[in-house]
Amino acid sequence: MRHVLAACIIAALAAGLVAVTANEFYLRILFSACVYLLCALGMNVLLGYAGQKSLGQAGLFGAGAYSVALLTTSLDMNPWLALVLAVAISAVFGVLIAAPSLRVRGPALAMVTLAFGIVVEKVVTEASDVFGGAMGIYAIKPLTIGGVPLSMAQWVWLGIALCLGIHLLLRNLLTGRFGRAFLSLQADEIAAGAVGVPVLRFKVLAFVIAAATCGLAGALVAQQNQYINSDFITFNLSIFILLVVLFGGSGSLVGPLLGAVTLTLLSAVLARWSWIERFANGALLLFALYAMPKGLAGVLSGVFGKIAGPKAAAEIRPPADVPLPTRPAIVVDGPLLQADDVCKSYGGVRPAHNIGARLMPGDIHALIGPNGAGKSTLINMLSGVVRADAGRIAFLGADLKHATMHAICHRGIARTFQNLRLFRELSVLDNVLLGQHARMSNGFLSSLFGLPRARREEARARQRAGAILDFLGLSHLAEAPAGSLAYGLQRRVELARALATEPRLLLLDEPAAGLNPQETAELGDLLLRVRAQGITILLVEHHMDLVMRISDHVIVLDYGEKISEGTPALVQSDPRVMAAYLGTDVEEMAPASSHAVAGLA
Amino acid sequence: MLATWLQALVSGLAIGGVYALIALSFSITFTTTKTLNFSQGEFIGVGAFLGVAVLYLLSGQDEGAALAPGASAGFNYPLAAIAVGAAVGVIGILLFITAVRPFAGKPGMSWVMSTIGFGIILQSIGLAIWGPAPVNLPSPFGDDVIRIAGAGVRPQEILVLVVAIVLMIGLDLLLRRTRMGKAMRAVANNPSVAALMGINVSAVMIGAFALSSALAGIGGLLVAPIASASIFMGLGIALKAFSGAIVGGLDNPRGCIFGGFALGLLEASVALWQAQWREIVIFLLIILVLAIRPQGLFGARTLDKV
Amino acid sequence: MRSPHQPTRRATLAGAATLLSAPFIFRSAHAAEDIKLGFNGDLSASPSAQSGRAAVVGIQAAMADLAREGGVLGRPLTLTIRDDLSQPPKSIQNMSDLIDNEKVVAVFGPTNSGNALAWKHIPNQKHIPVMGCIGSATDITKGTGGDNYMFRVGSVDRIQVVTLMGYAKKNPRSGKIGFLTETTGYGQGGLKDLQEVAQAQGLTPAANEKFNVNDTDMTSQLSKLKSAGVETALVWAQGTPIGQLMRSMDKIGYFPTVLTSWAADNLSFMNAAGPQLAEKPIFLRTVSETRSPRQQALFDRVRPNIDADSAFSFAVHGYDGTMLLARAIQQAGSTDGAKLREALENLNGSYEGFAKTYDHPFSRTQHDALGAADQRWTCWRDGKLAAYSDDIVASLKPEDFKG
Repeated sequence: MRHVLAACIIAALAAGLVAVTANEFYLRILFSACVYLLCALGMNVLLGYAGQKSLGQAGLFGAGAYSVALLTTSLDMNPWLALVLAVAISAVFGVLIAAPSLRVRGPALAMVTLAFGIVVEKVVTEASDVFGGAMGIYAIKPLTIGGVPLSMAQWVWLGIALCLGIHLLLRNLLTGRFGRAFLSLQADEIAAGAVGVPVLRFKVLAFVIAAATCGLAGALVAQQNQYINSDFITFNLSIFILLVVLFGGSGSLVGPLLGAVTLTLLSAVLARWSWIERFANGALLLFALYAMPKGLAGVLSGVFGKIAGPKAAAEIRPPADVPLPTRPAIVVDGPLLQADDVCKSYGGVRPAHNIGARLMPGDIHALIGPNGAGKSTLINMLSGVVRADAGRIAFLGADLKHATMHAICHRGIARTFQNLRLFRELSVLDNVLLGQHARMSNGFLSSLFGLPRARREEARARQRAGAILDFLGLSHLAEAPAGSLAYGLQRRVELARALATEPRLLLLDEPAAGLNPQETAELGDLLLRVRAQGITILLVEHHMDLVMRISDHVIVLDYGEKISEGTPALVQSDPRVMAAYLGTDVEEMAPASSHAVAGLA
Repeated sequence: MLATWLQALVSGLAIGGVYALIALSFSITFTTTKTLNFSQGEFIGVGAFLGVAVLYLLSGQDEGAALAPGASAGFNYPLAAIAVGAAVGVIGILLFITAVRPFAGKPGMSWVMSTIGFGIILQSIGLAIWGPAPVNLPSPFGDDVIRIAGAGVRPQEILVLVVAIVLMIGLDLLLRRTRMGKAMRAVANNPSVAALMGINVSAVMIGAFALSSALAGIGGLLVAPIASASIFMGLGIALKAFSGAIVGGLDNPRGCIFGGFALGLLEASVALWQAQWREIVIFLLIILVLAIRPQGLFGARTLDKV
Repeated sequence: MRSPHQPTRRATLAGAATLLSAPFIFRSAHAAEDIKLGFNGDLSASPSAQSGRAAVVGIQAAMADLAREGGVLGRPLTLTIRDDLSQPPKSIQNMSDLIDNEKVVAVFGPTNSGNALAWKHIPNQKHIPVMGCIGSATDITKGTGGDNYMFRVGSVDRIQVVTLMGYAKKNPRSGKIGFLTETTGYGQGGLKDLQEVAQAQGLTPAANEKFNVNDTDMTSQLSKLKSAGVETALVWAQGTPIGQLMRSMDKIGYFPTVLTSWAADNLSFMNAAGPQLAEKPIFLRTVSETRSPRQQALFDRVRPNIDADSAFSFAVHGYDGTMLLARAIQQAGSTDGAKLREALENLNGSYEGFAKTYDHPFSRTQHDALGAADQRWTCWRDGKLAAYSDDIVASLKPEDFKG
């Protein structure tokens, strides 16, 4: 609530300033600040949260500006209605720019967004019959109140009100389920999918939010000025919008405000020496990134904020004996998951060949085999990270062949990763809350408007996350950034995140890798406790003593084929298993684990 | 009609040669450092102006008047090319140290913004020194049109194509046959392993940026007699070269060269239809290509190891 | 060409220095005294910036001359300069800065026509006269209902087009005409004029092609003109692209009669086209290359401060515009915008300027001081601008200028 109050006070002060300012030039500067702030608010969601760089925001600014221009001139539409429609049209353009951006990453993503900006710029320049080209469109209807066009002061008030409103709405969105989901995209798309975040949908959503606010800004500029031409829509504008976000502090809620106000004022002050302004913008772009990677907001919070550096306590507290949040129990007749004749090959390499497996509910299953046997590939296929080339995977009777990662997570399969895919910058609690993503039911609108449902869901998720942290003995580390923890703790946080999806089946890819013997033993106890909560487990593991101690059922793979399965004792005595481990590839086996040999012997 | 098509082919090849050269320059830094210079356009413009300055010096002309047609004759132009290559190469090293190294390899691609920032600074300095107006740079082989089966071509356009092809073949050999090329590819493949092999990774990366920037500078010098030297001349070229590189596959130097030429020819053929829709058609096509093949036509598909 | 007028130059520099510091030091002290004028246009960012700088030089020269005569209404004039970098948002902000913040009584500019269109509603609403001296788009001075505060002493696309079209119509070679325009505001504004005037004079273009301002190869567009049988090409573009156009004509060996916008007088055109090809096009300027002694004196005086000989016409426009404005202030006896507009529209007496002698230059409906009669046929000869004349030019009469 303090944040809302502060935002309202800042807005009220700005509005008061407008009331006492007679100088229209100052009002115009304030209006520009509002316009860039609007652009930056949406861009911050896209860049700061979802982590997508767009170099084509000018195109969306243009979409909004030209929409109001054409709607109010050619169609003679009411200016307020046109403004609303312009935002909607820009949002549609946001989908257009997002669609090709979904598959590309890195420089190619920059290229796609850049190309989009250029196409819009060129279309409004060349299709002069429609868009007036560089000669522009005149007589755009300004917003009116009772038929009277807004005065300059009223424009600024409107700008401030819109900024305040959008800021508060986006804050609702970003501080809860949606904000975490956006952040997870930026950190690791695969992990995001694995915890149930629909990656594509959230990427599109981030593009659409950025498009809508940029379009709104463009529409306001066109209506205030009653004129727009193609020279307004330039690559420099796209860069400036990015600069505002980066300089202010990308990923921070106050960043856009700081960036927009500072840079607009700077530009106004430097207007007398305009060539310096360009130089200054370049220098800011270069050195702001370097000297203050978190922007002005980062610097300010460093100065005023508490020195936040929660000491990463090394030990695990004794776990509390609380029940895990789980899905309602169901009676499964037969296997929980059944895979038949699953195949996968990459060129000549064939990590899976006609593998079949039946995972019985309530059991701990272990998947073992020498390196390169295809264990991780099988886990990846079961969790939807890679698609099987052939075969059938049925979970609770439903085919998973074409299901996406997040859909599989929704059905109740969770996983951890061999090489740890935590959201390192996020706190332990946020990591676990992201696990709850798919278990929360508050949608976009209820989150945006902070409706009771969203608050209720958030509270429930926090309470459940707390229970999970208690269960694992991690509660005291809830606020620490996940990446700052010791390795063994990070493994445990990843387990907590997977448990937060409330799975029926938990896939663990080498959960004991890198753990010392004591930690490994503790992990064994923990997994038994998880099983006791009714959760079925499939783990890939090299630590044979662990496998033999806790497993109910062991599957052995070698060169992509299943060579044995059964109870630990049965598998242990299978000569083919001995051959696979000892006979063919002793050198490779040697470093894997001395326990393995001990366990098998 | 045939002459028109031939003319388009010649025009497309000439401008395509420049695109290919700059596209290759993107590929050189991308394969070694996984970064590239988003302000390559400014480097092209600066290269052209530095060339003008060197030619003034070499021909002993007064700064007041435009360069005489003979200013580029003889050894002047090649000397200017060497000087420009060296000078812009040094700027490239500066770029690497200030704008790329702090951000390379870190998530978030901050180097996109920092190289753009570097370019804005370079452009405003260039504007302060040389002003916004275009400046003439004579071609070393004169300006008379050569006719080939009804199509006209200027000596400089042939020179651009020849020099671009020679440079590209040379670099291709360099990358594939020499120790230095092997070192570059090793760094591209895995910097930490390359370092273990005793390769000076930092030096290779600096070298890649110097080479890439030098190519941009020389590209500017080559184009200047056709387009006039201007601080803004490079933007369009770099953008299309970048498109060519992305379409060809940034991690595949030969793919980039192909992409550059393809873009030049495409541009010329779209111009036969409606010249002003050229950019729109090209960039829409690029968006389409990337939506279907995100790694480019000849790029290697990168797999996320899970 | 060393200037014999060093004092003037120094005065100009001192003036510029004062201007920069004025907002901070002298603002309150001199606000009541000075008559503040503003300039808003591109001085650094685009290739046309040299025209903007030349106009400022002309304005400052006129202000220096006025100061020698004791100012206007006994008050000194000052010029507040804002560079808009050719960006419309910046230009709009500058306009507000000058009018609302600096409280100037009139504004000169802009350099690029598109920017005038972006802000012309501001001076019209605030009743501040604007004196254009560079941007030539026809629409700049066109009224939009209500009082019009946009004036211009300078080239006007429409007037040039009408004159050139008159030539095209009489050209015995011109079986067919074709348009070639650049896709900037300048080029497309010109295209609109070309199309309307062609219609008014009963001509139909056989081809209408466009090119980008940065294009270096226009052979495909020219091939279309050639195959359409165009023998008179009307070109509306900036200097460099017109130069590239000539080079492309050379490539495909196609040389129609080329009538271009006045941007061909820019040195950048000569540089791009080269001295031989530069001699092909014919265009119109407001200041003849055969300078009167009086014009020559001004030329010698301002030349050291402008970037190229050809930019002299902008200095002339700036000078004459300032003088006309000063006379209007004198006549109105006040710096009030509405009264100034009245005075400009009903200027008494005649003033011998450097472009021409102005006799009632503006009226309520006519806000352009220079008209068809003030156009000078020009071309390039031996790398220098020269007056152009041929039989057709000689035979042109006022009634040929329709549209």
